[in-house]
Amino acid sequence: MTELSLRLAVSFAQILAEMSIVMITVATLTYFERKVLGWMQDRMGPMEVGPYGLLQPVADGIKLFFKEDIVPAGANKAMFALAPMLTMVVSMIGFAVIPFGPNITLDIFGMTIKPFVVADINIGILYILAIASIGAYGIILGGWASNSKYSLLGGLRAAAQVISYELNVGLAIVGVLMLAGTMSMVEITEAQAGGFWHWFIWGGRPDGFFPIHTQIFAFVVFVISAVAETNRIPFDLPEAESELVAGFFTEYSGMRFAFFVSAEYANMMLVSCVASALFLGGWNAPYPGTIFEYVGLEQLAWIEHIVWFAAKVYFFLFMFIWIRATLPRLRYDQLMRFGWKVMLPIALANIIVTSFTLYFFPR
Amino acid sequence: MTFTAWLKTITFYDIFVGMKVTMKHMVHYRPVTLQYPHEKRTLPDNYRGMLALLRYDDGTEKCVGCDLCEAACPSRVIRVVSAEVPGEPTKRYSKEYYMDMTRCLFCGLCVDACPVDALGMTREFEWSVYDKRQLHLNKEQLLAIGDRSFPVREKQLELQHPNVAFFNVAFKHLPQKPG
Repeated sequence: MTELSLRLAVSFAQILAEMSIVMITVATLTYFERKVLGWMQDRMGPMEVGPYGLLQPVADGIKLFFKEDIVPAGANKAMFALAPMLTMVVSMIGFAVIPFGPNITLDIFGMTIKPFVVADINIGILYILAIASIGAYGIILGGWASNSKYSLLGGLRAAAQVISYELNVGLAIVGVLMLAGTMSMVEITEAQAGGFWHWFIWGGRPDGFFPIHTQIFAFVVFVISAVAETNRIPFDLPEAESELVAGFFTEYSGMRFAFFVSAEYANMMLVSCVASALFLGGWNAPYPGTIFEYVGLEQLAWIEHIVWFAAKVYFFLFMFIWIRATLPRLRYDQLMRFGWKVMLPIALANIIVTSFTLYFFPR
Repeated sequence: MTFTAWLKTITFYDIFVGMKVTMKHMVHYRPVTLQYPHEKRTLPDNYRGMLALLRYDDGTEKCVGCDLCEAACPSRVIRVVSAEVPGEPTKRYSKEYYMDMTRCLFCGLCVDACPVDALGMTREFEWSVYDKRQLHLNKEQLLAIGDRSFPVREKQLELQHPNVAFFNVAFKHLPQKPG
């Protein structure tokens, strides 16, 4: 009984820490995005609240918290309330299997816990795919329950788009799963230890110099599909503001709107974490070992690992913003054609080629 | 499709060119924004801002109540009620003068039409108000705007004949002041 409650307490502490990290990063990301977008478009971004607008996320949060909560007439109230919660929760719980740091264990109160991953389950990547698919329900429900034509159109677009691009995400990671031979995020990351030439974007440890198992095509497919799956520009058709006002969250205001927006940023973070864990070696440094180990501070090596993981994630997040600053929105038929006729064949061919190379040159 | 075009398509060459442009703008960060309430742009010399009624140096109003501004105004901003100067039957002045600035399009035709330069366009532009009735200005308000925006112009001595309305445009054949 005490052991169970102790386990629960430790788990809650881990979940709390992970959630606060995610929420703080989301708040940072709203500021970061507006700032970088401003710089790229010869503007300044937020400048008024605090020095260089640094307190803008706080001001936004307070404003959204105190705004009126409007439910449109004719909306399905239960579904209308459920949709933002569903989106938010789903985008948060995906982080449970992400290894933020090295796979070390701590012994506290006679239990063995892993401090840098909330739940090291052996089907981690499948879990993330499943959770991400549920996220589409939040968008579709929100669009449908609002009783607004713009919301409905946005929700419908989101349904078609998320489903067709999730397929590509799922197929793109199959090559990585074959190379790693496991579905646990922790073990996949550990399989890439020992320098950047062991990352799965180059195909892990090749026989000979030539990176024959390279997953770079899968990586490109994964990143493009991830942009589409998180409804970001240039694939932001569900919330195309020039066509559909704001798409599926047109009718939302106040905290519910904030839920949708922070869920979008959390999803961006999640796909960035997955991309860096699967293809760029996660928390592994691009050189063998860590600098802290070389200078004899093995105890602090986890700091370096976490810094590398954060650097990779922020690289992807910056790329999301960079793409948003550059590209215009795709047309709907272009989006579908690109997803089904370009991305899908590449992902399938990647699976076949990887399986052949793995058969003839086993790792 | 040539081989080069095909290569450019599969390597997303055009997208990278575009991303290079945005990256260049971020690295060479020169914003075009002015932080408006804290810093203001320099107005051009012929800026047409808020309208104002002007006075002579000694405090008398320039306006002679001729109604030409009302006639010239394309959006009917101005309403003039003209009257005789009490005790001076040859002189007229504007007894009441109203401007509905909500309708004004700042074309400056009234300033051009005024024969005595009684109207001027100031360089004020920060006239946003919460109640648009505050933009319905009467004569005193317009004179106040003129007083704070223009250094007062000197009265031309040769035009102070009691029988001459103050047409201070460049007519040289006006009767001289006696004595």
